[in-house]
Amino acid sequence: MIVDFLRLAFLGGILSIDRSAGWNLMLSQPLVGACLAGALVHPGNEWELWALRLPIAVGALLQLLLTNPALPASQRPHDTATAGPIGGAVAVLGMAHLHAAVPSSSGGLLWVLLGVGSGLLAAVVGGWIHRLHGHASRLDTRRAATLAAAGDVGALERLHLGALWRIFTLGALWTWCGTLLFLAASLALLPRVIEYASARRVGFVFALLLGAALAAAYETHVRGVRRGWRWSAAGAAATAALLISLGREGA
Amino acid sequence: MNDGRPEGAPDVDRREPAEPPPRPPLPLRRRDFGAAAARLLHVQALLTPERMQGPGFAYAFEPILRRLYPDRGRLAEAHERHAAYVATHPVMTGYLLGAAARLEEERARGGDMDASRIEALKRALASSLAAMADPLFWVVLRPLAGLVGVLGIALFGPADPLLPDVRVLLCPLLLLLTYNAVALPIRWRGIRAGYARAGSPGDILRSLRLADWRDVLERGGALLYGVLVMAVLAGLVMATRAPALGPGPLVWAMAPLALGFLIARALLRRAPSASVETSLVVLLLAAAASLVL
Repeated sequence: MIVDFLRLAFLGGILSIDRSAGWNLMLSQPLVGACLAGALVHPGNEWELWALRLPIAVGALLQLLLTNPALPASQRPHDTATAGPIGGAVAVLGMAHLHAAVPSSSGGLLWVLLGVGSGLLAAVVGGWIHRLHGHASRLDTRRAATLAAAGDVGALERLHLGALWRIFTLGALWTWCGTLLFLAASLALLPRVIEYASARRVGFVFALLLGAALAAAYETHVRGVRRGWRWSAAGAAATAALLISLGREGA
Repeated sequence: MNDGRPEGAPDVDRREPAEPPPRPPLPLRRRDFGAAAARLLHVQALLTPERMQGPGFAYAFEPILRRLYPDRGRLAEAHERHAAYVATHPVMTGYLLGAAARLEEERARGGDMDASRIEALKRALASSLAAMADPLFWVVLRPLAGLVGVLGIALFGPADPLLPDVRVLLCPLLLLLTYNAVALPIRWRGIRAGYARAGSPGDILRSLRLADWRDVLERGGALLYGVLVMAVLAGLVMATRAPALGPGPLVWAMAPLALGFLIARALLRRAPSASVETSLVVLLLAAAASLVL
């Protein structure tokens, strides 16, 4: 368990650097983070296959829900980099620890919802934590101006590397603490409310959230695009035709 | 007392020794550009509203400046100049750095290039690159890459229940390839192209054709959204197929999907940047509504 959390923390730190330091390789996208978390966490041999499946669903939903088409400056400060690993890990570890206490026949949807909920909350709280880095960066920038005027190039380099280390540390710490926090909350709360979580209710909540994810994707990909509707209809028609022809072949 | 010098002549012996002439710049090597490119990966580590990427830009520029200004004083002066306000898209910083390196090289060799001219070119190029690259990378390409990754789930089909699900690797890989197939070549060429075309920044902007890329990718995003919707609907139809029960299960599955879509769309229209808060509200509403089922 501790090794799993260390791996997660390292992943969270790396993803934070990708998001905040300028790598911008898109490692910090929720789908990537959740899937990597699933590959890094080992909930036990009997759950190995689920550990690879749940994070895909969690990551896909978070990807659609957290993608914001606005420019970074006009976005609310949400930490999408650590939301994926936290959501994916909470789903997998929650399933492994709660399976005995929470009998549910929802085919894994309950754990997906747990992961998505944790990921969304982690994005909000992670945004608050990221402000700490912003505050420290302001102080560092003032110091950098003084050092640059004094010609101390070596100290400037150290300042920059220190900022890089701070991004990694905050990301790693928040991934560790966030996963632990949401996992502990799930372990404490879920067994108490499980009587309300019938398969039908879980399916209803999942479908509603999927609808919200499609709405978020619509706002991102179609609204505001010239003739976006036509292109979407073309994509849907082509897919429908393909599915129908595949269905006939199968029949 | 006259010591033999003419009246008013300077006291040669008491004069401070003249400053040595500045050391000539060293030629820039491929490895200096490589080191700068590697440092550009961390250009936003000290991002603040006051100077944006300025400190990171100066940090990345340092291997080149060190060659151009072997004297400590001139190096510090150049470093201070480049640590001022710089705001552009992180993928495009290579072009900016390459162009600035060319001008700094001219200045270091004693050419007719003053610091204000370098600063003016840097600012103009940075804002133009940002104006073209921000809509492409942040608004279109990043969401599109995410959508492609999500569609990978449908593309690679359901996994064999007894085998490891390879989609856990393939879907993120699709996302990363989609984004970086566009972004990495631009990054790779950035410094060299900026250095070669520093004299005509307009050529740099025209050569990138970012607006054309944006048009194509925007339409691709809308097209793939249609594919996503159809894939979700097909999945629902397959999951609820029960000929004995008629269309009831499908309607039961479609109704909350449509409701979630309408609620989220209404909320997102009011607050477009609050997608996380909207999702949490929908989740809470769904949990509350499910209790009456």
